[in-house]
Amino acid sequence: MKTVAVAFNTFREAIRDRILYSLLVFALAMIGGSLVLSTLSVGGEVKIIKDLGLAAIGLVGTLIAVFIGVGLVHKEIERRTLYVIITKPIRRAEFVLGKFLGLAITLAVNVAIMAACLLLLASAMEARLTSELLVPIGMAFLKLMVVTAIAILFSTFSSPTLSAIFTLALVVGGSLAKDLKLFAASFGGPFTQAAVSAVYLVLPNLAALDLGGAVVHGGPIPAAAVGLAAAYGIAYVAALLVGAIWIFQYRDFK
Amino acid sequence: MKIRFPIACLCVLLIASAAAAGLLSALEKARPRPAAEAGAPWLPPAGVVRVMSLGYHALAADLFWLRTVQYFGEHIQTDRRYPHLYRLVDLTTSLDPHFLDAYQLGGLFLSIGRAFPEAIAVYRKGIEHNPDRWELPYDLGRMYFLDLGDIPAALEWFERANRLPGHPPYVPRMVAHLRTRAGLIEAAIEMWERIRETTDNPWVREKATQEIRKLQARRHRGAPVTTGPTSGGKEGGAN
Repeated sequence: MKTVAVAFNTFREAIRDRILYSLLVFALAMIGGSLVLSTLSVGGEVKIIKDLGLAAIGLVGTLIAVFIGVGLVHKEIERRTLYVIITKPIRRAEFVLGKFLGLAITLAVNVAIMAACLLLLASAMEARLTSELLVPIGMAFLKLMVVTAIAILFSTFSSPTLSAIFTLALVVGGSLAKDLKLFAASFGGPFTQAAVSAVYLVLPNLAALDLGGAVVHGGPIPAAAVGLAAAYGIAYVAALLVGAIWIFQYRDFK
Repeated sequence: MKIRFPIACLCVLLIASAAAAGLLSALEKARPRPAAEAGAPWLPPAGVVRVMSLGYHALAADLFWLRTVQYFGEHIQTDRRYPHLYRLVDLTTSLDPHFLDAYQLGGLFLSIGRAFPEAIAVYRKGIEHNPDRWELPYDLGRMYFLDLGDIPAALEWFERANRLPGHPPYVPRMVAHLRTRAGLIEAAIEMWERIRETTDNPWVREKATQEIRKLQARRHRGAPVTTGPTSGGKEGGAN
């Protein structure tokens, strides 16, 4: 219950942030702009709209998660409101989870707005309801949950600037994890390959949560693949949140 | 004083905007127009673009496809030479190996530019990455038949398209025409009509109309279906 109260308070605070609206307008402009871009193409018009729409959701969602997420805990310390909160009968774990859920709700609302815009456009172009896009949109949301959890983890012990740099570095690393492994397999020796394999397992494999390609081309997505990807995302978020709670639990605020 | 300031701002804004627009227009006129060769598109290796796009390689493929269409459109209206077309199509399809339109239209653009070995390479790459799609072997068969005049190779690819699910009724009809070597001109006309009906590209439509007229004239004269080169046929059938 206390977690929910913190979550809604975080949501209310986040929706007052001007950066959120700027990014949302940018995303909607990107999705709308895809219609103009598609008219320049010969073939692949609907593909361009879907690809650009899904990219807008992913990119803008990531920016919202990073730039709001990294300040969530730090702002409370800076404004000294945290000192009041931790004296109340609320566990530190509940506070961190509430912050995460609050940003998750904010992102859910934003993703829903962007997704509605994309579905409307794609459905109008194809003259049918493109409901199959809901699967990659759902996975994109899960990807954003991973990014939010990373941002909150860094936010528990670092400044917003450093947290933003660390989070963006992990997001970029996570997007390139597969390429890194392929690169090591092609050029590295046994030690490099083992080291890269370890890094590959630790990094968030964000590409594993990307199911847009198959859906855009109209190919089938096995339910097992969706289930496994979702389970991977949830497990990674859980691990990050446990790490964040652990660090926050032992942090000295004196 | 309060009214003067916004009016002054508005005046400066209007003058500056008009000046910027005028200067840009003058600059475009003053700057020499680059030759088609000088305006070569930026084509980094697919691996580099894949890494740089941070997982959004399908979107990168779309952007390179748009560049391909613009490149083809620019050159078909001017010199009708396409030295970078194959690399553009190859880059697009390397970034998104399931981008069917890029293979189909890229192959067609290359065949219009008479770059037949490159067009064959594009179709074969598409078939390799999309073995369940009938469209690509059909398009390759069509190119062998209409452009290269290689009936045995065309027949092999049409038969392959005919074995794949989802093919339309005209595919077995083409197979029958080519097997019996009868009604080849009618088959060729029907193919170009299909292209004319389905394409959004005005140049492709125009090309189809021209080919239909040529074939109709040949039908009147009783000439063979194609006068295209046959050497491309050596590049292979449906293995």
